[in-house]
Amino acid sequence: MTGTWNASIRRKQLLYGSLTLFFVITQLIWVGVPILMTVLWSLVDPQHPWSFPDLFPQKLSWAQWAYVFKYTNIVRALKTSYSVAPLAVILSFLLSLPTSYVLGRKEIPGKKFFMLVVLLPIIMPGMVVALFLSRVFSAFHLSQSFLGLVLAHTLMGLPYMIRVLTTSFESIPQDIIDAAENLGANTFVKIKDIFLPMVRPGLLAGMIFAFTTSIEEFNLTFVIGTPTFETIPTILYSFLGYNFIRTNASVVALIMMTPNIIMLFIVERILKADYLSASLGKV
Amino acid sequence: MQAKKESTAIYYLMILPGVGFIILFLGSSIFLTIAQSFGWFSVTGRSQFTLVNWKTLWERETLDSLVFSLKMGILSSIGTLIFAFPVALFLRKGGAGKRFLSSLIKIPLFIPALVAAFLILNLISYHGVVNEVLLALHIIKEPLRMLNDPFGWGVVAIQIWKNLPFVLLIVSASLASIRDDIIDAARNLGAGAFSILFRIYIPLAMPGILVSMILMFIKAFGDFPITSVAGPNYPPSIALRMRNTATLFQEWDKAAVMGVIIIGTTLVMTWLYSRLAQLVEGEKP
Repeated sequence: MTGTWNASIRRKQLLYGSLTLFFVITQLIWVGVPILMTVLWSLVDPQHPWSFPDLFPQKLSWAQWAYVFKYTNIVRALKTSYSVAPLAVILSFLLSLPTSYVLGRKEIPGKKFFMLVVLLPIIMPGMVVALFLSRVFSAFHLSQSFLGLVLAHTLMGLPYMIRVLTTSFESIPQDIIDAAENLGANTFVKIKDIFLPMVRPGLLAGMIFAFTTSIEEFNLTFVIGTPTFETIPTILYSFLGYNFIRTNASVVALIMMTPNIIMLFIVERILKADYLSASLGKV
Repeated sequence: MQAKKESTAIYYLMILPGVGFIILFLGSSIFLTIAQSFGWFSVTGRSQFTLVNWKTLWERETLDSLVFSLKMGILSSIGTLIFAFPVALFLRKGGAGKRFLSSLIKIPLFIPALVAAFLILNLISYHGVVNEVLLALHIIKEPLRMLNDPFGWGVVAIQIWKNLPFVLLIVSASLASIRDDIIDAARNLGAGAFSILFRIYIPLAMPGILVSMILMFIKAFGDFPITSVAGPNYPPSIALRMRNTATLFQEWDKAAVMGVIIIGTTLVMTWLYSRLAQLVEGEKP
């Protein structure tokens, strides 16, 4: 009896082991090969082009990187991207703090409706919003302006920030707040010693989501910002468009995605998976 | 009673910064889209009610774009689900290495859409890795044209690669909520793996599957950058066509009609989802 039972457990373990191996290998190819190819393309030496029969580039060099930094607008675009993003994150944090507190902890009529409204910037088709928001913006002289760019990026980051913070506020046990109140804590003490420490993981996740959203935002930036402001995505788009230069595009693609992947692992380390699904519109 | 009313008013004031910001900017742009499609607030010409812009609905080019975008939306949502569901099912149980696998899978989620488009178009180009491997294995005799192909398979491939983790997360969440007791009970009653999959996992995960498919459809239907980079020369996606109509041809009113069509389709899909979800919920024992 125990023999067959052990055998069936061993069979099950073997099955899971081989399945894990299968999925890990397919995922390594699925995710790894595209990235590896891009890394190789970015290192192709301009004097020794990489063309059809060669399996690998003949010679690797940093020349493409040097070229992109020297002759394209990438540095300016990096500056724009990385100055808009923090401002958009701070603004969306300030705007969503009171909103998330109420949505997470208080019962108000129409709460379901407000939760839906919060998701709208993600649900609404980006290009429609971009085009007609640009008309609204130009009426207020916000089109082609830095402030307009920050406001647009804030709009796109808000859904993530509000939803993640709402979930964090929801998960604070009422007992703790009641206990603090019994012990005479005032609003300020409650905020400082209970709410802020307890929503900190969620806050960090929300900030990272809003930040990466801003870094990769394309539609609104493309319509509202160009040609005055270029961000990394609009530069990449110009390399993928009518003047398609694979090597330059590879460099820009790597510049754009490396910080994002690093942030993914930070989120993974400090958070549980439910924050991800909470922020991604699980209604 | 009075105090309660007052506090509700304060709560509404407190949600105003976040919700109000979204309503102000999104609401005004959606309002402007609808108004301009009927000729109000016209950029060029006079502002008056007219249906003349809606004639674009009967133009061949607009219809082609609309059909193309619908096709991309439907194929991307089905395709992503087909790739994501087996992985989600495996991750529900899984043994050692599960954590590594799930972080590995999530990488494309954090890769911007345009970068994803570039990564995949590198692979599926005429002399890309995919074609070379297929040639070496003698599966095909000539390289396949997958990039800017007339049908749009390149776009579908990019959408699937980029959005697999997105769909995976939503489907995994709903698979995780299925209790093990139900599976054990079914197994005790003699259900095989096949009937457990089709009579327990899929029906009970249906709400999550529907949400992910609807969101995926909306993304792929309204897409601009991916189709613009990897899509066919003709037809352009409806969003690409709308943008060109507005900024290249300066026909904003006509573009507004296309905007209303995109928003309308999105709303119809969302409504359809809520109806379907009700149906599914109703069927639950």
